[in-house]
Amino acid sequence: MEPTEHRSSAIGPSLDQNALDSLQFNEEIQHLMTLPPENANSFTALLELPAPQAVELLHHHHHRRSPESNGSTAKLVTAKADGHGLHHPHATPHHFNPGANLTFPSDISLIERAVRFSVFAGINNSDNNHNDNNNNNHKVSSKIDKNNNNNNCSPETTGSVPSNSSGNLGKVKNEPAESDSDNNNPNSPQPLDIKTENQNQKSAKRKEREKKGKAATKKSKSGANDSSEDAEKLPYVHVRARRGQATDSHSLAERARREKINARMKLLQELVPGCNKTRQSSYVGVLAGLKCLGDNCSGFIVQSSVTEFGIHRGWDDESVLCAAADTSMASNMKSYVLQISGTALVLDEIINHVQSLQRQVEFLSMRLAAVNPRIDFNLDSLFVAESGSLIDSSFPGMVMPVMWPELQAHGNRQQYQQQWHHFDGHHQPLLGGAEESHNFVTPENSLLSYDSSANSGREELIPHQKEGGKNKKKLIILSDSR
Amino acid sequence: MRAPSSLKQEFLRKWILGLQICSSSAKSMSISERKKAIKLSADIAMASARNGRTSWSRALIASASKDDNHGKLFVQQILGSDCERLTKISTSIKRLRCKKILKKSSGTIIRRRMKRIPDKAVASSIAKQMVNKRTQILKSLVPGGVFMDEVSLIEETLDYILSLRAQIDVMRSLADATEMMMNC
Repeated sequence: MEPTEHRSSAIGPSLDQNALDSLQFNEEIQHLMTLPPENANSFTALLELPAPQAVELLHHHHHRRSPESNGSTAKLVTAKADGHGLHHPHATPHHFNPGANLTFPSDISLIERAVRFSVFAGINNSDNNHNDNNNNNHKVSSKIDKNNNNNNCSPETTGSVPSNSSGNLGKVKNEPAESDSDNNNPNSPQPLDIKTENQNQKSAKRKEREKKGKAATKKSKSGANDSSEDAEKLPYVHVRARRGQATDSHSLAERARREKINARMKLLQELVPGCNKTRQSSYVGVLAGLKCLGDNCSGFIVQSSVTEFGIHRGWDDESVLCAAADTSMASNMKSYVLQISGTALVLDEIINHVQSLQRQVEFLSMRLAAVNPRIDFNLDSLFVAESGSLIDSSFPGMVMPVMWPELQAHGNRQQYQQQWHHFDGHHQPLLGGAEESHNFVTPENSLLSYDSSANSGREELIPHQKEGGKNKKKLIILSDSR
Repeated sequence: MRAPSSLKQEFLRKWILGLQICSSSAKSMSISERKKAIKLSADIAMASARNGRTSWSRALIASASKDDNHGKLFVQQILGSDCERLTKISTSIKRLRCKKILKKSSGTIIRRRMKRIPDKAVASSIAKQMVNKRTQILKSLVPGGVFMDEVSLIEETLDYILSLRAQIDVMRSLADATEMMMNC
């Protein structure tokens, strides 16, 4: 690789994984917000590509600096298709941008680290790189709605974020989009299109999309391969328009930019392992890089596109939130986002609580199932002592002696009575109802009324339950008088 | 907040009815089946303790009565005479709401182009989506939640949480007691 001037890529402290994984909005956002001042440029930390290719990609972009472009172009690192390889390795080597960081982390942890530093080099021109990227027929599994991507060239440079096409049409739509995006712009600096679409996505759809595979970028077919070589060193990109496409310079430029951005996005998507599975930490890293797009006036457009991108790809909300808050350098935006998400936090709490309760029910039923075969759950032999305060205090101790007689002998009524008397003084346990208790219950406890019919010690209750309407067992639970 | 003891008592009452069914077939079942049966009986008992006043309880009973395994048995046993009345109510409500949901979901994806996105709009859109996502999750947790609108979902959730707590308390007491007996 050619030596280039290295940009300072601020590599912050490695991310605390837990911090990322937890719903700590403030923390993350603050972390992320400290990054912008560092203003690191290189995005390479997010690249896991084989070094040369990734470098080429990046630097190809970097090289294309044009005087006019103010806004940051979307230097999204797009995934390189493995099978196709980069068609422009030859093109790129010599214009590595100064300052490009050539280090490539090889595992995902560095992506997390990327959160800590603003990596994404928002360099201006992305035009000719699209040529290179376009040449690769990447597997287009993204859900970009390409039709929407043919936006007007907006004056702001924005990150072209592949937005989610409706539901499952991602691949289908990418095909026509691909043919669309084949052209490269002839002129160097053109603002990127905003591929942001505001879509109302339901979480179910998001999950679908997650599973659907890679994101984003549409790759054009091999169109401007030759032009890319020319484009390397020149300030202008010669783009060959495909048949049937508008040759207007603006649209070509748009298309080129889009393609470049999409290529970057796809590259990025491939870099992040399991990106479809939405590991929050990974995405935060990605988003941290993406946030570099939004340096200027296009900042919030970029961030909206970023958030759309994130949401449509099923990124965790927190990641999206951090990205959005991050890309907007405004503090009021941050606070606004944090305020609004209070509802989300509350809902989170509720969800966690319900889930934990349900889990407890499962566990307890498992416990009972384990015990069950050895315990006769016949109502007449089951004593359950319960009352409000009884449960807290000495319930086990109290219940055990109460239930003990049941197990020993069903016919042991004498023992019953003694036990029962014994406990009468202290507690008034709930009678789970043996019939034999009937005898001493009524005289003993005015509080206890146990209506049991047709209950003898061991009868199976189901068939008997239905006899003659007498089978209602009503347990009246005594409340502890303490 | 402690669950009211009346609720617990009611639940216990009905649960024991269901447990009797379990015990009759206890020998033949594996432990997981038993666990499921116990849990199911507990759920139905808890739902019936609500007497059909809450939507989640009706939904629970409705789904249980459609279940092949033991659900119907439990429902019949525990609810007794109310059984038919409550299950009818539940199923009819569900059917209506299913239609609503079908209608809603048919044409809902609206794509808007954001040419100019002010900060607040982005923030609110993000927040809305977060809230929506969590609402969906909550709807999947609460029985019958998918049919509810968000306002009633929250109410149902609160009631459901209370019922769950009561159920857990009772079950834990019973489990402790039985285990203690077993150990002695």
